[in-house]
Amino acid sequence: MRIKGTPFTAIVLLLAAAGLAAIAGASFMAMWNDDLFVPAPGFEKKMLSDWFDGLSGSPADTPVYIQDGEAPGGTVLILGGTHPTEPASMVTATLFLERARVDRGRLIVIPQANLLGFTHNSPQEAHPQSISFATEDGGRRVFRYGSRLTNPIYEWPAPDIYIHPASGQQLPGKERGNINRCYPGIPDGSVTEQAAYAITELIKRERVDLSIDLHEASPEYPVVNAIVAHERSMELAAMTTMDLEMAGIPMRLEPSPKNLRGLTHREWGDYTDTMPVLMEAGNPVQGRLRGRTDERLALTGEDKAYVKAAALGRLYIPYDGDQRIEYRVGRHTASIMAFLENLELLFPDRGVRLEGIPTFDELQEKGVGAFLNPLKM
Amino acid sequence: MTLLYRAIVLFILLLTVRCQFRERDFWRQATAALVVVPLLLRLLMIK
Repeated sequence: MRIKGTPFTAIVLLLAAAGLAAIAGASFMAMWNDDLFVPAPGFEKKMLSDWFDGLSGSPADTPVYIQDGEAPGGTVLILGGTHPTEPASMVTATLFLERARVDRGRLIVIPQANLLGFTHNSPQEAHPQSISFATEDGGRRVFRYGSRLTNPIYEWPAPDIYIHPASGQQLPGKERGNINRCYPGIPDGSVTEQAAYAITELIKRERVDLSIDLHEASPEYPVVNAIVAHERSMELAAMTTMDLEMAGIPMRLEPSPKNLRGLTHREWGDYTDTMPVLMEAGNPVQGRLRGRTDERLALTGEDKAYVKAAALGRLYIPYDGDQRIEYRVGRHTASIMAFLENLELLFPDRGVRLEGIPTFDELQEKGVGAFLNPLKM
Repeated sequence: MTLLYRAIVLFILLLTVRCQFRERDFWRQATAALVVVPLLLRLLMIK
């Protein structure tokens, strides 16, 4: 139907566009508010810029929490939120932050490694903007569900090709916003490369013995339900994998490829003295086969397309119709605790002992929210 | 560099609005209005 356009209709349409932009803008800007964490007693809050001045005042400067045990021992780093689209990563780190009591050694927790990935999401992927958990006091804890990459407001212009500074490896330009392709980072690089540099500096200066980077992957991706270990971490990771298998938690063990650069399990090992490992849980909301994408999918992993894919043998995880966040967080939590046990076994002077962390079974029974602290009024 | 980028976005936004007002077909005006939305969000560095 042809309708004549006039200056008046142009003004009306322009006002409508401005209104739409205002509504969308308010929704996007809601993701700029920080998530709230309630650390367990004993944690000291620092900022990543304490290890690299260049991040001071930068929006990428993310909180770092440290708790020292009474007995001397080693140092362990738990890194969550490398990719904000992988919520079990940030939630697991948050559980350790809010529950851990360190008896021996030192625990460092970074719940949101790429803080700028949490300030936006991917609407074209239909991703939710947040996920939430009911706590035992009847309240709710809400966390942002961000994007895999740094917010382009801060990380731009993306080059056509991202050349990894330490190796010359070439990747698509947008990967410069992927902190897990930027390690060991450079002090005068982009904001993401600077954040990666600061984390590498933290590992060096704090002499971190074991560094754990938490992730989730799509069920059709071969490296899922897996530990990826650097050569230096391989013995420890092998012992942990066997322990987990014996406990009924299926786990693959993958060597860190030497020619895939910029990732934690490679660069932390090559550029620091730590033992790095990366862990992947299976998450249908990450996958390309998924149907309706919303908070429910992120929390339950229930998707009928994945049921069909499992029946066709196309998945790399056992899938019975769901992949609940309690299961994914439980896998990460049990794996970290197994790593700590084996760290002490292999290196008695570098052990780290924690209490207060829920077991795999407790998480399945009570859910994640039962172990998150209520927000203080 | 950000200011230069935003100046380019503003220039394209103004061109789009100019086209919208010179257009005599309502649906083409509406198309221009849709183009304005992301340009506004980018100009304000919101998305």
